[in-house]
Amino acid sequence: MLAPLSWLKEYIDIKLSSKELSERLTEVGLSTERIIREGDDVIFEFEITPNRPDLLSIIGIAREIAAIENKEIKYPKVKIDLKKVKPQKILPLKIQTNSEINPRFTGIIIDGIKVKESPDWLRERLIKIGQRPINNIVDITNYVMFELGNPIHAFDYHKIKESVMKVHKTIGGEKFTSVDGISYRLPKGAVVISDSEKIIDLCGIKGELNSGTFENTKTIFIRVPVEVPVLIRKTTTSLSLRSEASSIFERGVNAGGTVDALKRCVELVLREAGGQIASELFDIKKEVFLPWKLNLELKRLNKILGISIAEEEVLKLLLRLNLNPLKKTKDIIEVTVPTYRNDLKIEEDLIEEVARLYGYNKFPKTIPQGQIPIKQIPYLKDYEIEKKAKSILVASGFSEISTYSLVSEKDLLENEINPDKTLRVDNPVSREFEYLRPSLISNLKKALLQNKPYFEKINLFELGKVYVGSNIDDPKEFYFLCAVSNNKNFYEVKGVIEKMFEDYGINEEGAKYIEIFDEGIFFELNFSDILSKINLSKKYKPIPKYPPIIEDLTIEVPEKITARDITEEIKKQSPLIESVTFQSIFRNNRTFHIVYQSKQGNLTTKEVARIREKIIEVLKQKFKAKII
Amino acid sequence: MEEELIQIKNSAVSLILDAKNYKELEELKIQFVGRSGRLTLAIKEISKLPKEKRPEIGRLANEVKKSIEDTISTQEIWTKKETSDELRQKLDVTIPGIKPQIGHLHPMTQVIYDVVDVFKGLGYQVADGPEIETDYYNFTALNMPPNAPSRDTQATLYLDTRNSKAKPGEILLRTQTSSMQVRIMEKIKPPIRVIVPGKTYRVDDVDASHSFEFWQVEGFLVDENVRLTDLFGTIDYVLKKLMGKDIKIKFATTNFSFVEPGVDTYMECTVCKGKGCSFCKMSGWSEIMPAGMIHPNVLKAVGYDSKKVSGFAFAIGLSRLVTLRYEMEDLRLLTNPDLRILEQF
Repeated sequence: MLAPLSWLKEYIDIKLSSKELSERLTEVGLSTERIIREGDDVIFEFEITPNRPDLLSIIGIAREIAAIENKEIKYPKVKIDLKKVKPQKILPLKIQTNSEINPRFTGIIIDGIKVKESPDWLRERLIKIGQRPINNIVDITNYVMFELGNPIHAFDYHKIKESVMKVHKTIGGEKFTSVDGISYRLPKGAVVISDSEKIIDLCGIKGELNSGTFENTKTIFIRVPVEVPVLIRKTTTSLSLRSEASSIFERGVNAGGTVDALKRCVELVLREAGGQIASELFDIKKEVFLPWKLNLELKRLNKILGISIAEEEVLKLLLRLNLNPLKKTKDIIEVTVPTYRNDLKIEEDLIEEVARLYGYNKFPKTIPQGQIPIKQIPYLKDYEIEKKAKSILVASGFSEISTYSLVSEKDLLENEINPDKTLRVDNPVSREFEYLRPSLISNLKKALLQNKPYFEKINLFELGKVYVGSNIDDPKEFYFLCAVSNNKNFYEVKGVIEKMFEDYGINEEGAKYIEIFDEGIFFELNFSDILSKINLSKKYKPIPKYPPIIEDLTIEVPEKITARDITEEIKKQSPLIESVTFQSIFRNNRTFHIVYQSKQGNLTTKEVARIREKIIEVLKQKFKAKII
Repeated sequence: MEEELIQIKNSAVSLILDAKNYKELEELKIQFVGRSGRLTLAIKEISKLPKEKRPEIGRLANEVKKSIEDTISTQEIWTKKETSDELRQKLDVTIPGIKPQIGHLHPMTQVIYDVVDVFKGLGYQVADGPEIETDYYNFTALNMPPNAPSRDTQATLYLDTRNSKAKPGEILLRTQTSSMQVRIMEKIKPPIRVIVPGKTYRVDDVDASHSFEFWQVEGFLVDENVRLTDLFGTIDYVLKKLMGKDIKIKFATTNFSFVEPGVDTYMECTVCKGKGCSFCKMSGWSEIMPAGMIHPNVLKAVGYDSKKVSGFAFAIGLSRLVTLRYEMEDLRLLTNPDLRILEQF
C-alpha cells in the first residue's frame, strides 16, 4: 500500500520526520517497506497485514498516526445528505439481491454526467499511489476507495438491460470480460450481477466491460457493496485474479461505511462530472451493521502482558484508537469497536491494541517462571546421536553439504529411479525442483563433479531427509546418511562405517552399504533405521590381570575363502582366544593377529602351542590352508 | 633359563623407564642389548640347551628383546626432546605444521547445534516432525481456516494426489515448522517447552534472500501465567547468546493468525551494521524472529483452556540467522556444495 505524505496530511497534522514516523508505524504494526522521495513529497510503502482491511486506505493509515500522536483526525467534509435528497426525475431500477451472498447493497443513480479526463489534482494523487487515471468517473470511484477503504463500482446505467440487477451465484463456465479487456471463464459459485440477459459484474473483484463507464456514458449507477469474504476469496483463488477491491473484501470491508463512501463519491461526481441524482438511495441489507461491544478485564490484560499498566492509561490508549472505552465494573472496561476494525473480535485482540500503542519496546524483559518440563515429548529428536556420526565423518576428512530436497526428473532418471514411483509436487517452482528425493546420491554426485576442477581429494557427506512412497497416502520420511570419496579406498570407506557402527553398538556388515561408481566410492544408509538399532549403553569390563600372548599367523588359502570365514573359524578353537583380527593380505597370503588371554593366570607357552596346533589343523582341513 | 630371561626383561624395563636423560639411556642400551650386554650373552647360551627346548626359549628371548627395544625407543623420543638441542636446531620451526586432514560441518548444522544448546539450557526439548504435512496441521489448526487471507503470505507447494485417497490441496510441504505446535500439544499437557528445527518450503523464486526451501526453528512454551514480557526476555536472551551480546534488537507489532498479540523481532543488520544494504533491503534491520502469544483458538483446537494456560510461540529464520552470523550476502551459499565455501567453517 502506497501512501503519500501530502495526502495523509490532509487528515492529520504530522510533525514527525518521515524516518521517525515510519519507525513508529512499524512498531505499532504498519511495517514500512520503503520510503520514496518524490519531489517535495514523500511516499511510504507499507506492508499491510492480512487482518487489517482498514489500513488499505489513506484514512485508515491517518487514523493509526492519530493514535500514535494522540491527535484528532479531520475527516473529509461531505455536505450532501443522500437520505434527504428529492430527485427531480427518478429512473427505474429493480434490484434483486440476497443477504447471504451480498450482505449489503448500497447505491444510487446519477444522470446527466459528462465523462472526461480527471482534474490534475485527482490524476496526480492516483499516479502517486501507482494507479493509472482513466476518466473522471472511474478515477473518483478509485480515489474514494483508496481514501476511505470501501470499494465502489460505477455502471453505465443505460447498459443495464431492462434496468434489472440480479445478484446471484454462477453455475460455472460463464464467460466474463473484465473492464480492462481480459476474458475469463468463471468458476462455479462466483457472485455476479446480471441484468435481464447477461452478467454485468463480477462482484467485489472486477466490473464487466459491457457495462463500464466510458466517454459516451451519460448516466451511472454507483454501487458500494459489502461482500462475503470467503466467497470472494474462492473466486479470486480459482481465477488467480486479484484487485484492490478484492483484497479489501477478502479481509472484511467496513460494513458500516458504505453510505459514507457513497456520499463522498456522489459529491465528487457532481462536482467533477456534473449531473444530478436520479434515484432514491438504495441500501439493501438485513443487518444494521452497528459497532459491537467487547469487554476487557484489566487483571487479565496485565497478567498476559506481564506489566501493570494503570487503568487510566489503558482508558487513554483505547480512546486514542476510537474504541470508546467505558468502565463497566471495578475491573472491566467495555469498548465499542468501530465497524472498520473487523480484526477486533476477542479480548486478546484488545490486549494487543493496548500493548502495541503502549509500545513493545518499553516493556521490561523477563524469563518464564514455570517449572522446567521433565516428561518426554512426542517427536523427540536427540541431536547428540547424529553428532557422533558427523564427528566420525568429519574426523575422517569428509565435509558436510546441505542440498535441496526437491530434485528434477532428470536427476531421478540418471540414477535409475522411476519418477512414477516418486513423490511429486503439483505446482513446482520449476521442472528442476519437481520431485522429492528418494535418495541423496544424485546430489552428492553433482557436488562431487562441481568440486572436481578445484580439488584433487574430495570427501563429502550429507545427513538429510529422503521421501518415499509410491503415492501420497503413505508418505514416509527417513533420514539418510550418504557420503562419497574419490581418494579413499574401499577399506578406508568401509572403516568409516565400521567405526560408526562400533560407536553405536551395532553389529552389522558395513560393506553392503557401499557402492562403487566411476566418480568415487559412495555409501548410503538409512539413518532412521540405524537410530532404531542403536545401543549406547556402556559397561566397564575389567582389564586383564595377566599378560596376553600375542602372535601373528600367516596362511595361504584359496581366494574364495573370506577373511571373515577364517577369523570366525580361528576364534572357535578356544575360549582362551581373546581376539582375532585380520592384519594384512599379500597375494593369497593372509596374516591374522591372534591374542591369547586367560582370566585365570599366566598362559604358558605350552598351552598356547596346543591351541595353535589346533588352529592350524582346522584351517588345513577346512580351507586347505598352507602355513607360511 | 626361562627365569633368567624374565628377570633380565623386568630389570631392563624398569631401569629404562627411570632413565633421566639421553645419556643414561644410551648406557642402559649398551648394558642390556649391546654386543656384550646381559641379554645378548643370555641368548648366546640358548644354543647350549637341549634341542627340544630351544624353540620355546628362543621365542621367549625374542619377546624379551622386543619389549626392551620398544621401551628404549619410546624413551628415546622424550629424552631426545629434552636434551638434544642440536636436533631442534636442525629444524626450521617456522615451516607450517602438517594439519590433520579433517572435514567441516556445514554452517547450518553448526548454527542448529548452537540453537539447540541454548534452548536446552532453558529447559526446552527438541522435536522433529514431518515435512510432508496435512492442510490441517499446517494451516487450519493454526487459526488459518480454508480461504483465510492470511494464507496468502505463505504460498504453498502442494503434493500430487493423483492415484490416492487424498483430495488435491490436502497434502502439502509444510510452509512453517509451526505445524508441529498442534501435533505436539494435542498429545501432551502443559507445561511444555519445545523447539522444532527443520526444513520448510514455499513457492518463491530463488534469489539472494529468497528460496523455495529454507530452514526454521519453531519454539513454543505453554504454562500457567506465561506473559508477553517472558517472550521478550526469551527472544532477547536467545539472540544475544547466538549472535553476541552487542547486537541490537527491536520489537514490532504484526499479525500471524496463530498468535495474539503478535510480535516481530528485528535485528540490526550484521552485514552493513545498520547502514542499509541490499541484504536488509536498505533498512538497516533484518526481520529475524516472528513471535507472539499463542492465539486462544489454537489452544482451543488442542483442548486447552485459554483462561487457565497461556503460552508464546516464535520462529527463527535459521537460513537468515546463518547468513547474518557469517555475513554471507547470499542465501544460495547455504545450498552450494562448493568446498571452497564449506572449508571456511
